Amino acid sequence: MRSLLSEMVVDAGRGRADYVDARHVRSRSERIATRSGRVDRVERTDDEGLGVRVRVGAAWGFAATRMTDRTAAEDALSRALAVAAAQPRSRSSPLASEVPASGRHEATGTTDPFSVPIEDKLAVLSAADTAMRGDPRISVTQAEFLAFAEETTFASSEGALCEQRTTECGGGMTAVATSEAESQVRSYPGSFRGQVMQGGYEHFAGLDLVEQAPRVADEAVALLTAPPCPTERTTLVLDGEQLALQLHESVGHATELDRVLGLEASYAGTSFLSRDDLDSYRYGSPLMNVTADATVAGGLGSFAWDDEGVAGQAVPLVREGVLRGFLSSRESAAEIGLDRSGGCMRAAGFARQPLVRMTNVNLEPGDAGSLDDLIASTERGIYMETNRSWSIDSRRLHFQFATEVGREIRDGRLGRLVRNPTYAGVTPEFWAALDAICSAPEWRLWSVLNCGKGEPGQAIHASHGTAPARFRDVQVGVA
Amino acid sequence: MTGGALTLAQRALSLLDSGEEAQATVTAERSLLLRFGRSRPTQATAVDDLTLEATILRDGHTGSAATNRTDDESLKACVRAAAASAAATAASEDSGPYPGLPSPAAGRPHDGHDARTARLDPAEGGAALAAAFEATAAQGAEAHGVWTAAEVETAIASTAGAAAVDRLTDAYMKVAAITPGGTSGFAAATSVATTGLDPRTIAETAARKATAAAAEPARLPAGEYPVVMEATAVGELLTWLGALAFNGLAHAEERGALAGRLGKRVAAASINLSDSPRYRGTLPRAFDAEGVPKAPLPLIQDGVAHRVVHDTRSAALAGARTTGHALAPGGAPMGPAPTNLVLVGGGAADEAALCAPIERGVYVTRLWYTNPVRPKETLLTGLTRDGTFLIEDGKIAAPLGDLRFTDSVLGILERTQDLSARPVLTSEGEYYGRRFATGVLCPALRTAGVRFNA
Repeated sequence: MRSLLSEMVVDAGRGRADYVDARHVRSRSERIATRSGRVDRVERTDDEGLGVRVRVGAAWGFAATRMTDRTAAEDALSRALAVAAAQPRSRSSPLASEVPASGRHEATGTTDPFSVPIEDKLAVLSAADTAMRGDPRISVTQAEFLAFAEETTFASSEGALCEQRTTECGGGMTAVATSEAESQVRSYPGSFRGQVMQGGYEHFAGLDLVEQAPRVADEAVALLTAPPCPTERTTLVLDGEQLALQLHESVGHATELDRVLGLEASYAGTSFLSRDDLDSYRYGSPLMNVTADATVAGGLGSFAWDDEGVAGQAVPLVREGVLRGFLSSRESAAEIGLDRSGGCMRAAGFARQPLVRMTNVNLEPGDAGSLDDLIASTERGIYMETNRSWSIDSRRLHFQFATEVGREIRDGRLGRLVRNPTYAGVTPEFWAALDAICSAPEWRLWSVLNCGKGEPGQAIHASHGTAPARFRDVQVGVA
Repeated sequence: MTGGALTLAQRALSLLDSGEEAQATVTAERSLLLRFGRSRPTQATAVDDLTLEATILRDGHTGSAATNRTDDESLKACVRAAAASAAATAASEDSGPYPGLPSPAAGRPHDGHDARTARLDPAEGGAALAAAFEATAAQGAEAHGVWTAAEVETAIASTAGAAAVDRLTDAYMKVAAITPGGTSGFAAATSVATTGLDPRTIAETAARKATAAAAEPARLPAGEYPVVMEATAVGELLTWLGALAFNGLAHAEERGALAGRLGKRVAAASINLSDSPRYRGTLPRAFDAEGVPKAPLPLIQDGVAHRVVHDTRSAALAGARTTGHALAPGGAPMGPAPTNLVLVGGGAADEAALCAPIERGVYVTRLWYTNPVRPKETLLTGLTRDGTFLIEDGKIAAPLGDLRFTDSVLGILERTQDLSARPVLTSEGEYYGRRFATGVLCPALRTAGVRFNA
């Protein structure tokens, strides 16, 4: 495959296009799930193919084929060239320079999750599922195992040739309790398919699903009769998982440079940020330090090279509350005069072309100690945990979130549960209200498996490192 | 792949051990999608791919595996993986809940394929972009959006005797026009054929709305207001309703919004909603993911909740029969869903007529980032986008900024006062994974109240 790709892109680069790259990707996945005490699903996928991307003047063309022989590769190249040629002409701009990628990178963990017998995984899931059942008000229980593996070979007409192999593994569980009027859900370790990390089976095995299952079910049932979330402005403490999604929606997407430049307006939207805000815009409080780090171990946005061959980097986005960087590609970086791409071009499989995406957009830890310490230093407020619903405007400014569970904070202690907790705000005002972040031992990566962008749609995996944090004077109880 | 999908599905079945019960599904996609932003091309994607999915049954359990590789060794590996999955499942517990593959039945023909569209001519797409750029520039705006076309062939073969093929084309174009001042307007079209798209008209409509929004914006305090929603916004609400109310799995598990409400009034008497896979103007479909022929199904009649949709799995759980709404062989994880929603039109000539009785209200073109807050109540939150206006004294009076709403879909339909006469096919044109084009055929509507909370 290395020789096929490198020969093809070099040949194609001779006068037919200004730039060519090609990726061969093999993707495998395994999903095992139980539902309400029964085995619900055992699925495996195994796909491969070639994606060829060309640039002729300012026009990109991309063609993908599942066939992997020379004839198919050349057909894909011809198709990509034809698609590029058919588009209206526009002003051409250079790509930010990059040393051609070379080498091989592996991040596969200790135990290959695909080699572990299905029966072993089912035993864990079934035990967790069973441990959530018993109370008649529990109407649905689900437990899930997930594994993904990807092998990529990349070559470009500039001489890049590199290979990467990654494995991701994890899972989670959910209990739904219903009454005539209410339906309440609790999830562990996170909602929307649990918690996945780059690595082997050991990550799933360490989730302790069975041990956590009774608590998850008990909380779902308790929420049915909990008082509703009050409507007020108050102090809000977010757990790491909800804070990860807050970071994802209001910082990660907002700093994608293609949005900032107005090139994603029709689907993903734009950004309240402008290119001129770099190094001057006050994003939040001085405690706010955010980094897009493609080098952190275990992150779903970790790699040695992005999907246009740029080395993975740790890009400062916000330092002491001031905007210091964007998520960028070679094209968008050049457009605003940056020396180098931030290495954020990622594609979902062989049949999609890379877009500016998040890597691991992390909020650096603070010095507020443990979550218990943070609660103890909070006189009054609400603690919210585990995302249930999210919505933010197309400029990433006005947001509204719901979590699965809330708890009153009274005199430095967690009090009674509240149901249907929600909060809303405006991005820079919210981040300006950040006044405490827990310390490094509370910091961990949280996975997002459903980050959608692009047309045709691409759902990529990303992680966000967070520790629980506190925000003052936030509007809660908005729905 | 034209014509070869069924052969491939049958080839996979031939690799089974004798006595095995199984379904093989092949979905072959050829598609072309051109994107643009700021009146320049941004990305262009041509895809030629397929998925073969083998689903094997053992004692009421299913195991499945999928691949896009079609050599003998890969097909054997796929079938072996599916068999191993089914065997492991069957060994882990007593008999499972899956009642068995549906009996084969012939699907009715439809007119959902257009040979010209299937050629996927990049020049046709390029010309559409050029027309959009020119039309928006003429009104001082820039064009953002997509033009796309595809041919998808789906074949199902099963040991129960199914041998069915469905060939579909779809075409979609949207334009969001944005003025130098940042105001925006939106228009889109969806069709079986690229000839059903008029790029210049789509772009002109979007640009007209963007320039109309460039006037001094009005301010509207949070509260409940009468609303006129264009069909695109109505279609998005109905798509959510499909998932939250008509999903037979959620209904059987008592999580669904219609749990305990079938046979009861849930919407205004003017609301007649069905799933109608061959209704004129929709994107037709011959059968569902289990090979069950698609047929019209009334969901809300004269405002009364009538039915929910089922696949084989949810039907077994509910003690009902499949209605032909499986999204995956053996049932999708989230359950079944309607794919051809049709809301019957009303008596209003157009959106202007819907506005006429409103003293003070809101005109909504399109919604954005809608998500359920409390699914059982069909309570959604989201924002308006690309053309929100204040209605005063029956007419559009001034532009408004994007507004956040938090309200229940069934509540909005319950408060519906009138609908426009002519339903149009709406779609978000989103295709994650293998292309599966769907749309909602619906009119614009006027509702007495939507709750805006910002």
